[in-house]
Order: sequence, then C-alpha cells, then structure tokens
Amino acid sequence: MKKHSVLLKEDKCEGCTNCVKNCPTKAIRVHQGKAKIKEDLCIDCAECIRTCEYHAKYTETNTIKETEEYEFSCALIPPSFYGQFNEKIDINKIYKGLKIAGFSGVFDVAMAAEAISQKTKKFLAENDGPYISSSCPVVVRLVKLIFPELLENLVPIKSPVELMAEKVKREVSKKENVAKDKVGVFFITPCPAKLTTVENPLGQEKSFLDGAISVEKIYNKLLDIMDEYDLQEKMAEDENDYEERPYLGISWGQSGGEEEILNDYDERDTISVSDIKEVKGILEEISRDNIRGIKYFELVSCPQGCVGGVLNVNNSYQAKYNIKKLVEKYRNESPEKLIVDQDFSAYNYKLSQKFKATDVAKLDEDLDKAMEKLTAIEKEIEILPGLDCAACGAPDCETLAEDIVNGQAQRTDCVFMLRKRVGDLADEMSTLAHELPPVMSEDSSEESEVDNNNETKVDN
Amino acid sequence: MSSKKLIEEQIERRNFKKGGEVSSKLKSLLRKLGVDTQVIRKISIITYELEMNIIIHSEGGKITAVIANDKVKIIAADDGPGISDVDKALQAGYSTAEDEIRELGFGAGMGLNNVENYSDQMDIQTSKGEGTTIRAILNV
Repeated sequence: MKKHSVLLKEDKCEGCTNCVKNCPTKAIRVHQGKAKIKEDLCIDCAECIRTCEYHAKYTETNTIKETEEYEFSCALIPPSFYGQFNEKIDINKIYKGLKIAGFSGVFDVAMAAEAISQKTKKFLAENDGPYISSSCPVVVRLVKLIFPELLENLVPIKSPVELMAEKVKREVSKKENVAKDKVGVFFITPCPAKLTTVENPLGQEKSFLDGAISVEKIYNKLLDIMDEYDLQEKMAEDENDYEERPYLGISWGQSGGEEEILNDYDERDTISVSDIKEVKGILEEISRDNIRGIKYFELVSCPQGCVGGVLNVNNSYQAKYNIKKLVEKYRNESPEKLIVDQDFSAYNYKLSQKFKATDVAKLDEDLDKAMEKLTAIEKEIEILPGLDCAACGAPDCETLAEDIVNGQAQRTDCVFMLRKRVGDLADEMSTLAHELPPVMSEDSSEESEVDNNNETKVDN
Repeated sequence: MSSKKLIEEQIERRNFKKGGEVSSKLKSLLRKLGVDTQVIRKISIITYELEMNIIIHSEGGKITAVIANDKVKIIAADDGPGISDVDKALQAGYSTAEDEIRELGFGAGMGLNNVENYSDQMDIQTSKGEGTTIRAILNV
C-alpha cells in the first residue's frame, strides 16, 4: 500500500536542501546528494513540491485511462476547480467536456460542502469548542503528528469529498443498476494530500473514492477537447442533464469560504487561516489556550486555500477572484441561501473513527532512556555551531543533533565540525611529524636535560 | 529514576514578543520524552501563563522546569511587586493588570486560576516588594 503521494525523482534532485528547510514537519534529509523523505513524518502537504526549483518532487495521481476499468465512472469536481476558469465560462461546458473525456457522470463536491456547513453549524451549537475544521487532510495529519493534544478539537465530521463520494457511489449504483464496485468514483484533486486519503483515509475505515486525478491532467485534457469540439453544440445532445450550477458551496475552494457559509448561518465566532506555516502558529496558540472567543477555526494548509494546491494550473489569487465572482453571481440569482440539506438526509455525516495520534516524537519507550538521550542531544547541540545552515542535510542543528544521537548521522556531517576536525588532525600531524622514535631522539638520553639539545630538537 | 532539568530561561519584563517561547520549548522536550499528550497540554498552558505573568506583572524573572520521579515541576520566580492578596489572585477573572495591558488583550485574570486548575499541586510564595515564586507540579 502506498503511504504517501509526494514522491522524489532522484535524477532531478540536486541535493540543495531547499525542501529540507521548508518542510514543516522536518521530514526531509539530504544524504549522498539526494533528498529522502521520512515516511513517518510526511503529511503530504506538498511544500517540498512547491519549493523545489528542480521539480524533483512530484506526485503520481491516477489517470483518465484508469477510469475505463469501471462500468460507470464518476468525476467529482472540487470547489477550487471552478477557480481555474474565467468566471464567464458556462460551467456546463466543463461538465460536457469531462463526459467527452470519458467520465460517465460528473458531480459537484460543492453540493456536499453546503450540506457539511449545515451540519457543522448544528454541531457547533450543541458542543463547546473551540473546534477545528477537519476538511483539509494536511491539517488533520499535522494535528495527529505535532499537536496530538488537539485531536479532540477536530470536528468529527466527514470532508465534503468523502460525503459526496459515498452519495455518488450509492446513488449511481442504484440508478444505473451497476454493482457498487463497478462504479468508479474519482476526485479531481488540487493536492497530493487528498490522493493519499484514498488509500489512507482519516477518521474512517475506508474511503469511498477509487482514485484521484490531478487538476492539471484534467485541465490539459479539457483544453484538447475544447479545441476539437464545439461544446455548445455537443451540449444540445443531452440537454436535460444540466442543472443550475454551481452551488454556493464552491466558496469552500478558497480560504474563508467555509467560514463565509457558517457566517451566513449566524455562526460568527469563526476565523479562517491558510498556509501551513500560519496554521502551525495558530495551532500552537490554541494549544496553549491563548485564543479567546473563537469557536471555529477553518484551517487549510495551502496559501489561499484549496485554490493554492500545487496541482492547480491557475494562479491562486486569480482563482480566488474567479470563485468570488461565481459566488456573487450565485447569490444574486438564488436568494434562498442553501438548498441541499435534504439531499443528504440518508447519509451519516459523522466520522466513524476517532483521530489517533501519530506518535513518533518520543526518543525512547523508556522514560529514563529517553532522558539520557535528551541529555546527549543537548550536549551535541552545544558542540554544533548553531547556524542552522542545513548543509549537513538536516534542517537545523537541533535536528542533526537528534539524528546523531539516534545513529542516523555523524557529527562530521556538519561542514564546520569537519573543518575543525581536519584542522585538529593537521595540528596533530604537525606535532607528530616533529616527534622522533626514542632511539633517535637525543631528548630521551640522560644528558639531554643538561645541555643545549632543546634547540636541536626544535630545529629538527 | 533520574532527574533532569529541562528548562532554565530568563524572562524579560514586557517582552511580549517572546511570550510563549518557553512553553513551546518545554512542550517539544516533553513530547520527546513521551509524556502523555494531555499532561503536556496542561504543562504547556501553565508554563505559558507563568511566562505571561512575569512579562506583565514583574521586573523580570526566571522559569525552570525539572522532571524527576514521575513528576514535572515548573518554577517561576520573579522580581516583582509581590501578590498582595493571593486568594483573590487565584479567582477566575480577577486581575491587577493595568488598563493598557488589558486593552492589549492580556491580563484577563485567568492566569493563576488556570495554573491552579491544571496543576496537581501548586504553591505560591510571595512577599511585597520582593517578588513571587510559584511552583506547579504535575504527575506524568
């Protein structure tokens, strides 16, 4: 089973340590000139993909070809996808294009996002917070790994894509009279993290998704199709298939969107934070109980929210603007705020499993041994130069110290330590070069102390 | 079982920017030792409150944290005005913070109350004009 979606093309890696320094969980080391991701620590946030100048980090999503294995294939469109297009585009053209691309059906995750918003509002009214949105899988994994004390603060509600996948699988199977395992449900994903949840779901035993295809793959395919066909004409073939779109839930595609819908519902004690570095900061504050009055935190790992996902094609700010325009249009056309709750009444919103801590931080199972190791690490930190230059391949001196104590690195991996070591050796060699074996050394003879032999020795 | 000093840090008066650094550092050390996450959370809250107390109310001080015999002890010692009414200071919402500090959002009066609630044992030694030493002990 694949554990992660963020992968490395070794031949492209220059060993530059940019990714090492930008990894929010310190999961990367460069050894022998190549980056290596520590699987236990990786949360698939894709910051390394974002920062690698050599494009050595990548993600391998499913292909459109793989959807052909199913009798009926479904594409689930994420809210952020709408941001990839000009606001004036007829959304139904995208739907038609996806069908020409090979999908039997196209479904809108924004619909489930609306329903989830309604449930979240209800949950917040019934429970004392603060609560954190569990919609972004990176945030959930970050909490599991670094802030396990906040696991109970994650809202135990499914993410929109999971709820939608469940609904699509069940309803398509019934409507088209196709066995559930012959209905393939594929998410068009803006990030590797959602792809990871297909095989490693969070808070539930199994994902209802069968795969995830990157936005860029789909986008390129759509461009080809638009070149080849007149979509307007094509749409006339199955006119009845198109409904009023998009849903207001598309605002979830950018940071502040989930919050906006909750505010619509008069749940106003909310705040939205995007970008994993900021997210880490706010989680730290929540953890030390230093945030007052806020009941709900919409936290997303990518800057600007899902529109900032690394698999998108459009600039995240442009995409954010495009979504804003679509939401405005929707609001003007449909004064009724949210409409979809009843469509999901047959589905369970709650996650079936509790989130569990990813416990890899401890130095040893035994407290005494862990304390010994910690003391050794402190000593090592004292010795290391404290420049955090990452030239050793670890993100900072503290991490190198820990790696040394854990036997995964050597002190001389540090260029400054190596230089010092070489200097010391050179000094020692120089001293040794002047030493003479006892038989040759006049120094060792008894007279040496009395006469002028000292001078001779220096001259030697 | 052995004992070990985890933290010994000076805290400066009114240096709000550094507020929380000691708490974060201690938290990360305790995670490395494998201490229970909920206990770590309590320690993290207590340490943060003690840090902020020194920053807000005193002329500066020091926070020390030691782990020994399945207990973590956090000691906050400051040079400050002392607490004139300890019982009152422990009440939720009671604060002697100046208005300017309260306007900044600090000094809500939850500090000592939080420290007492989250620790298994706590004592305060204070004398007027000389300073305050607070000890909070948690079982780990």
